[in-house]
Amino acid sequence: MSTQPLLACRDLSFCWTSQAGLRHVDLTLNSQDRLGIIGPNGAGKSTLLKLLAGLLRPASGDILLSGQPLAHYSLAQKARQLALLAQDTELVTASTVFELVELGLLPHKQLWQRTDHHDKTRILQVLHKVGLADKAQIAVSQLSGGELQRAHVARVLLQGAQLLLLDEPTNHLDVQYQHQLLQSICSADLSLIASFHDLNLAASYCNKLILLQHGNVVAAGSPQQVLQPALICKVFARPCVVDLNPFDGKPRVTFAPGAVDA
Amino acid sequence: MLKVLQPFRWLLLLLLLLFSCLWCLNTGAVTLNWQQLWPCLFDECRAATEQQILLELRLPRLLLGLVAGAGLALSGALLQNLSRNMLADPYLFGIISGAGLGATLATLFLPQYAIALPLAAFAGAVLAMALVLGFAALGGWQRLDTVILAGVAVSFLLSAVTSLLLYQSEAFAANRVMFWLMGSLARADYQALMVITPCLLLCFTLACLFRRQLDALQWSDQTALSLGVAVLPVRLLFLLLTAALTASIVAYCGGIGFVGLMIPHLVRLLFGGQTIVLLFGSMLCGSMFLIWVDAGARTLLPEQELPLGVITAGIGSLFFLLLLSRKGSRAL
Repeated sequence: MSTQPLLACRDLSFCWTSQAGLRHVDLTLNSQDRLGIIGPNGAGKSTLLKLLAGLLRPASGDILLSGQPLAHYSLAQKARQLALLAQDTELVTASTVFELVELGLLPHKQLWQRTDHHDKTRILQVLHKVGLADKAQIAVSQLSGGELQRAHVARVLLQGAQLLLLDEPTNHLDVQYQHQLLQSICSADLSLIASFHDLNLAASYCNKLILLQHGNVVAAGSPQQVLQPALICKVFARPCVVDLNPFDGKPRVTFAPGAVDA
Repeated sequence: MLKVLQPFRWLLLLLLLLFSCLWCLNTGAVTLNWQQLWPCLFDECRAATEQQILLELRLPRLLLGLVAGAGLALSGALLQNLSRNMLADPYLFGIISGAGLGATLATLFLPQYAIALPLAAFAGAVLAMALVLGFAALGGWQRLDTVILAGVAVSFLLSAVTSLLLYQSEAFAANRVMFWLMGSLARADYQALMVITPCLLLCFTLACLFRRQLDALQWSDQTALSLGVAVLPVRLLFLLLTAALTASIVAYCGGIGFVGLMIPHLVRLLFGGQTIVLLFGSMLCGSMFLIWVDAGARTLLPEQELPLGVITAGIGSLFFLLLLSRKGSRAL
């Protein structure tokens, strides 16, 4: 055991009462890996993420975070290791960007501890890292969707979490912000597990993919290994071609438009 | 906002509050001039009547107005934070109608005991709160919106029982209850202060300790959980605290609506949304608002006192409409 994987799960299963759930998922994530979870709707992408974040309890199987079972972590200990970037679509707060990022101190502080000068310097540092240093005192309601996501990334950096979980992070963002967000995560050297609808975005920014269908892992490995035309065509029930993205040389999936025979 | 005044806004607010206190002490059916007021405050009254008016009538009333206003605004701010619903208000918990039912029962069946009214009102408020929280617990605490809707339903149920009782009772008792329900500080004494002040201090101290957790809850439950906040216990703790605080205020002051809705909104506009700033600002502004409303209630009509709830509801509902027209349906 020279290097321990950051996150590992063995034979993970989960049952919803109404729908399929997940069956026998194994995965290993090393430090600075970026894992994309892909698959059609209802394949179990969000369920897997919620299990890994500890929001759901698995029916069977183990999740190990830095070698320790996830269930053994306290909430604050877990928050120092992994962070879930939720999609807070409804903004009701009047906080500033600085105050949002300051939340990252929460798992490190006791109830009576103040935010001191040293903390403030660190908040400005992480804001600088995501390119929002000049917007520290602006109300979050005035940020664009992409800037808000980056402010959350800064919060996660301050939180000290090595592993970031994202559920369809690029859902509400336009193309420019999608790339900005993923780029800021990559340049911050965080490990990432994210679910994607856009296969090409997943291929460009992840070094590992896992393809789910009806709660089963259909394929796992590098983007080249997972994005096989025959497999993708079968899982998404639509003919496709896979070629190379001219910009980064990663696989690129193009689906056939129009009516198709299943 | 006037940018120049920004750094001094807390100082200005405190000075304004102090000035308001002095002004309200001096306002009423009998007008005292400042030469009479000053020595009295330092225990050297020139006339016994002045001493009586100031120390036994106006001072407890002023202090009750301060703690009640602060408490209502603090509860409103906390509930808005916890529910992420900017229209949340302590009265949406059915607390006022629960207290109303208790007060009605006490007035109709135990009129000989003066202490029975606040006690029964408190018990009624606790009953309403227990019904609402019990309903929320059945639903697994999933959405706080459900809690608020349950509060509205419980509110109607208890009001219906109160109306039935009043309908069946004699007119004099009904009158007393109605006046109490509309809110007043006339019942002010040091006993009321001894009950409300500890609730207020406890609530504020705990909110200060849990300020980061409350900040995190402003975003979403998932974000808060991901930051290591034990969402359900924290929410339950503060729901109980705000309910107890509101119940103690309602027990002595009756129904004073809209303070908890209106004041936190104003404070958010003036001071921003960080929990600690919001709570402290709400307490100061709530105190000031309520003592001014009380001063108005005592002096607007000659020889007669207006119920506080009438004034706060009048101002509050106009404010509410203004808010809706500004924000559209998004605020809901």
